[in-house]
Amino acid sequence: MREVDELGLVPEGGYLTIFIPATGNAFVFRVKSRVNRGFERIHYGPLPLTAGLSLPSYLGGTVTVPATGVMPRTTYIPSELALSFPFSGVFSESDMWYIPKDWRERLFHVITEVTPKWLRIDVQIPKGVTQGRFQRDQVSTGVDRVFGFARGRIELVHFPEIHYGYRFGNDTNLNVYTGVDFTYAEYVIEIPKNPDLIFDILTRRVASKWITMPIAIYNDTIKRAFTETYGIEGFPLYREDQRAEAVSVYSGILREVKV
Amino acid sequence: MVKEILTLKGETDGSSASGDFPLYSDLIYHDTTAPWTPPTRILIPYGLKAKIWAKRIAAQGATIFTIYWTKDATATSPVWEAIDVEVLSSAGELALEKRRPIVIRSLTGKEGFKVSWSYPSGVTPSKGYIELEVEFTDEE
Repeated sequence: MREVDELGLVPEGGYLTIFIPATGNAFVFRVKSRVNRGFERIHYGPLPLTAGLSLPSYLGGTVTVPATGVMPRTTYIPSELALSFPFSGVFSESDMWYIPKDWRERLFHVITEVTPKWLRIDVQIPKGVTQGRFQRDQVSTGVDRVFGFARGRIELVHFPEIHYGYRFGNDTNLNVYTGVDFTYAEYVIEIPKNPDLIFDILTRRVASKWITMPIAIYNDTIKRAFTETYGIEGFPLYREDQRAEAVSVYSGILREVKV
Repeated sequence: MVKEILTLKGETDGSSASGDFPLYSDLIYHDTTAPWTPPTRILIPYGLKAKIWAKRIAAQGATIFTIYWTKDATATSPVWEAIDVEVLSSAGELALEKRRPIVIRSLTGKEGFKVSWSYPSGVTPSKGYIELEVEFTDEE
């Protein structure tokens, strides 16, 4: 079985491995179900930018958002104004991807694509904490710098109990209409309870979709979200010749797992 | 991989002896209330390339269409250099699709381009139109 389908999402019965660079740990999930199978696209509409908002410019000074949903020329969204995606009726109406820890069996795998595709993207996890770093903590990177961002597309999972902050940058001189499309899966997940299987997945003997999260700073909010949602902070990675040690450690970790 | 294609459209004012095309596109914000004016130059995103794949030009009389690029489109008065010239020798239209595009690279984040019109000597200004298919990409 392939790790992903034609949309880049994990099919039912497949494995999803989420690596956290800041801890060196990974979460391993088995996808029990995909509740939105066949309906993976959301044409969300324009970026939630409000007319009149003042944004900093790459050229100095500020530029005002001329109309709702328009990304002004040569501007970026600063840390304090990072965006979430509001949606009426969802658990947290200011952030459509946020779910509480009690919904731990749910996990959102979200591929965000923005038009125009040249717009810079980075993500704060949690909101307010920029994660881009170069040379340990020597330099912060992101949409406001010359590197440390993606353009047009970013793929993430949204962990429960954490609000993410999306930042965008437009380094042309054009005020542009924007549009956001999500390709997503609402997975019903479990953490496999067999430590040998965890080892085989994390040594890539068993196929799994891997996503490395842009988490360079292990904030208390992230730690609390992991421990309160899943009961664990992930599984450390071992070399292929360390199976016995790994299985022993994984067995201990699995006793704490909540899902 | 970044790939976005803009259809840019512009027209002459029909009276000036030369000028830069004001540029419109479905993605470029267009406010009909003053003091908004359409852009006449395009700043290429840092590290990307602008590839001009196609030109469609039309005019009511002989007209010269020139694409210029500059190392610094953020300057108040950039230094422009012609990179492509198309001449309509009389009223008519011309559609050109390129197998190899005109490429303008953003090496510093300041490079840009514009499209200008002028007329051969002795020709009275008239209306002229241009459409460009421009791709912004990080591909070779």
